[in-house]
Amino acid sequence: MAAADDAHLLERLLKGEQRAYKELVTQYQSAMRAVAYAIVGQRHADEVVQDAWLSVVRNLAKFEGRSSLKTWLLTITANAAKGRYKQNRREVLLDDLPSPHGTIGDERFTPDDGHWAVAPFAWHQDTPEALLTEDELRKCLEHTLLNLSELQSSVLVLRERQGLELEEICNLLTLSLSNVRVLLHRARLKVFATVEHFEETGEC
Amino acid sequence: MLTCKEQVAHSSDFLDGQLTFRERLMMRHHLMFCPNCRRFIRQMRLMQATLRLMPQAPVQDADALAERLAAERRKDQ
Repeated sequence: MAAADDAHLLERLLKGEQRAYKELVTQYQSAMRAVAYAIVGQRHADEVVQDAWLSVVRNLAKFEGRSSLKTWLLTITANAAKGRYKQNRREVLLDDLPSPHGTIGDERFTPDDGHWAVAPFAWHQDTPEALLTEDELRKCLEHTLLNLSELQSSVLVLRERQGLELEEICNLLTLSLSNVRVLLHRARLKVFATVEHFEETGEC
Repeated sequence: MLTCKEQVAHSSDFLDGQLTFRERLMMRHHLMFCPNCRRFIRQMRLMQATLRLMPQAPVQDADALAERLAAERRKDQ
């Protein structure tokens, strides 16, 4: 959202206009939840988002527009998460859970020269709109996202759905760039494997 | 020359603009000659676009929350 839009929304928020809060909640809560989910996990994510909202309202007058509103909201959420649940910080950062349809792993390549042993299957659809018309595939993707580790799925959601830069993700989640890259890559290959499986077999 | 396996290992960094100039050249060189890897990268991009477009669960009780937050704000004034 452009800075001018941020400023206009902010003005209405400061006046306490309920419709402005509805816009804010509708637009940003998913991203805030993804940040909370990454730091404190499923069990506490909703509480953290509630805390963050209160903190947002209390600090609204201090927002100076040096970052975008979105970045500011996500930073408050990350701080709320870290402050309240420091002890819950995920220990195993790079835990890699098995995915419903596997991944693009070593077995897809020939051991001697690293060529494809099983080449990528050509998908029937070539636009996201066409892929998403398949209800079954959508459910299948949701299922795969739920089966990623909390960090993998949050990093993927923040990058692909929320369009954050890698550096922003590093700062919010206090992860190194190389960890974010590994998490993102593993998550993508699993989602890729799900779409490929669906396109090949027509079922989840 | 990169192998296909290495191409896949570098694919996310390629898509995120995280490769060095030299690595990017090696990647492009491999893709030029390898239809399977071109398909892989094309489908990775398609997968990214699909995730971006996937409908997100609507926020539960947005009205109630908005009402509470607006009231909280007015109380502070």
